[in-house]
Amino acid sequence: MITTPHHSALDERDRGGPAQSLLSVNGLIKHFPVKSSGFFGRGGVVRAVDGVSFDIRKGETLGVVGESGCGKSTTARLLMHLIKPDQGEIIFDGEMVGIDLPLAEYRRQVQMVFQDSYASLNPRLTIEDSITFGPRIHGMAETAARAKAHDLLARVGLDPSRFAGRYPHELSGGQRQRVNIARALALDPRLLILDEAVSALDKSVEAQVLNLLQDLKADFGLTYIFISHDLNVVRFMVDRVMVMYLGTIAELGDGEAVFAAPSHPYTAALLASMPKMDPSDRTMEAPLTGDPPNPINPPSGCRFHPRCKLAEPACQTIVPPLTASASGTSQAACLVLVPQSGHSHAARVAMPEAHA
Amino acid sequence: MSNLVSIEGLTVTFTGRGKPVRAVDHVSLEVKKGSVLVLLGESGSGKSVTLRSLLRLHPEKTSKVEGRIVVDGHDIMALSKTEIGTVRGRTVSMIFQEPMLALDPVYTLGQQICEAILRHEDVTPEQAHARALALFEKVQIPSPERRLNAYPHEMSGGMRQRAMIALALACRPKVLLADEPTTALDATVQIQILLLLRALQRELGLSIIFVTHDIGVAVEIADKIAVMYAGRIVETGSVADIMHSPRHPYTRGLLASRVERAQKGDRLKTIPGSPPDLTALPPGCAFAPRCDMATQACHQQVPPLVTGDYDNAVACIHA
Repeated sequence: MITTPHHSALDERDRGGPAQSLLSVNGLIKHFPVKSSGFFGRGGVVRAVDGVSFDIRKGETLGVVGESGCGKSTTARLLMHLIKPDQGEIIFDGEMVGIDLPLAEYRRQVQMVFQDSYASLNPRLTIEDSITFGPRIHGMAETAARAKAHDLLARVGLDPSRFAGRYPHELSGGQRQRVNIARALALDPRLLILDEAVSALDKSVEAQVLNLLQDLKADFGLTYIFISHDLNVVRFMVDRVMVMYLGTIAELGDGEAVFAAPSHPYTAALLASMPKMDPSDRTMEAPLTGDPPNPINPPSGCRFHPRCKLAEPACQTIVPPLTASASGTSQAACLVLVPQSGHSHAARVAMPEAHA
Repeated sequence: MSNLVSIEGLTVTFTGRGKPVRAVDHVSLEVKKGSVLVLLGESGSGKSVTLRSLLRLHPEKTSKVEGRIVVDGHDIMALSKTEIGTVRGRTVSMIFQEPMLALDPVYTLGQQICEAILRHEDVTPEQAHARALALFEKVQIPSPERRLNAYPHEMSGGMRQRAMIALALACRPKVLLADEPTTALDATVQIQILLLLRALQRELGLSIIFVTHDIGVAVEIADKIAVMYAGRIVETGSVADIMHSPRHPYTRGLLASRVERAQKGDRLKTIPGSPPDLTALPPGCAFAPRCDMATQACHQQVPPLVTGDYDNAVACIHA
C-alpha cells in the first residue's frame, strides 16, 4: 500500500493544528413538525435531534450507532447543512459554519456518501460527468476535472478506460458505491460522512469497500463520520463511537472500550442484540423488549427508562447528563454514573475529580 | 425422520424480456419435519426464487419452472389452481421482508387473519376471531384484543412482523417460508423475532425454510444451512459444520471476510470481483472466476453437489 504523509499535519487548509477538533457540534436541535390531521387539532413534533454536542478530532473515525429513529441520519444531514438546524452551531476547524466559513467553502471540505448508491447518482450522467460535476461547479477547468475524475476512478478500483463513459445502471451496487466515494473525494474534502454507505452491499463486496475506505483515509488524510446500524462493522472501522437514542447521545467514547465494556445500559443491550456467530452459544433471551419508541413523544427523564433493566423512579424525572464512566474511557448519560443522583446504584458521594 | 419438503432438480428460468435468466439451476433440497433450513446467499443467488417456487408464486407467463417439488405429499407443480390455493396458507405459508407491503392496508389485522381462517376451515366467525386472538397472544403482541382492530400502518415495524407471523400461522401450516423477515428490522427487534420463530417452531413442530444473506441470522436460527451462489447450491451442512469447517471456497471466503473476526485496522480478507451476471454465467463453476483455487477443470464443467459422510454436501472438485 502507498503511504503518503499524513495530510492533516501538512494540509494548508488546517487552521488550528492537530489538537483542534475538525468539527465541533454544540447543542444541535432539529424538530420536525408532524402534519396535523386537521380533525384532532395540533400536530406534534418529531424530536429527531434533541440537543446533541460532540467533537470530531482530526484524522479519526467517529462511528454513530443506534436504532432507527434515533437521529443518526438527521444528524448527518444537519452536519452537511442539507437541512437547517433549529438550534445549535457547527464549528469547522475553528470557524463557525455559515458565518466565518461560507457554506460553499464548507461543503467543499465536507462530503457525504449515502446508502442508496443508485438513487444518489444522476441516471442521465455518465460516471465521469457525475464525478466532474462538483469540481466544475467549484470552478475547476474541464480538462483538469476530467483528469482528476480518471485519477479517482483508478484510485477506487475502477479502470477509467472501461468505466468513465458508463451510466449508473450499467454498474453493480458495489461499483456504484465506489463511484459515489470517488465523487465525494473529487473536491478534496477533509471530512467524509458515510451514512450507511456499505449497508446495502453484499457481504463479499462490503469487505472490499471497507478495505478501500481504510486505504483512502490513510492516503488522503481524511476524517470519517461512519454511520451504521451494523455494530460489527462499526467496531472494526472506528476510533470513537457515539451511541444515540431518541435524538440524544446515550454514550460517547473510545470505540474499543465501549464495545468491550459499555457504560450505558442501552449500549450494553444493543451489543447483546447482535447475532452471536456461534451455533453453540445462541442468544436465549432478547436483551430488549418492544420496538424503539416514537420520537414524537419521548419518555420523560431518561428517554431509555421504559426499556431499561436498571430503571428506578429517579430515572423517570431526571434527565441524565453525559458523565464520565468509571474507567474514564467514555461518557454516558445514565444516572448510575452520577453521584448522589438518587439512583441506588449511583455512588453515594461525589467522586474526587480524576487527575488528567 | 421423514422429509416434509423435497425439491428435486428445481430450475427456474425467467423469460420476461431480453435474454432468459436462469435464476435457479438444478436445486435439490430436503427439509425434515420440525427442522429449520436456511438458504444463505447474496443478492441474485436464487434463494428467494427457490422459496417462492414452493408456493408457485412465479408468474406463469414469464417464467419456466422445471423439476419436482413435493410438500407433505402434494406434488406442487401438478396441482390445479384450486388445489394450490388450498395448499397456500394451509400446508405452506410465507412471511415476507416488508410486512407493510405484504399486509392489506385497508383491512384490520383481525379481519385479515379471520379471512384466512374462514377461507380454509369450516368454522364460525366467532371461532375464527377467538383463534386470531390466541394467535396474537402466541406471537406476544401486547394488548392483543385492541391490536386485532388496528390497521397495519398503526403498528410499529416489529409489531407488524409479529402480526404477519400470526397471519401465516392462522391455518396451522406445516411449513413456514420466511423471506428475509428480519432484514428491515433493527438488531434489537430482529433478535426478538428470531427467538419468537425458534419458540414457535419448537412448540408447533414447524418446518421452516428461512432465506437470508446474513450469516449471523443464519447461525441464530438454522439447523441446516444451504449456501447458494449464482442459482446453485454450493454447499449444505449442519450449522456447526458450515461455521466450523466450511469446505466450498465461496463459503470459506464469506466466513473469512467477516468483520467480526478482524481486529480494528486489519485488512479484511476479501473475495475478489463481484457476484456474476446470471445472463452470462461461465460454462463451468460459477465461482471459478473469483476463486483462488480454480484450475482448468473448474472452467469446463459445473461441479456436481457431492454428498459427504454425514448430511453435508459440497459442489467443488477441490474440496
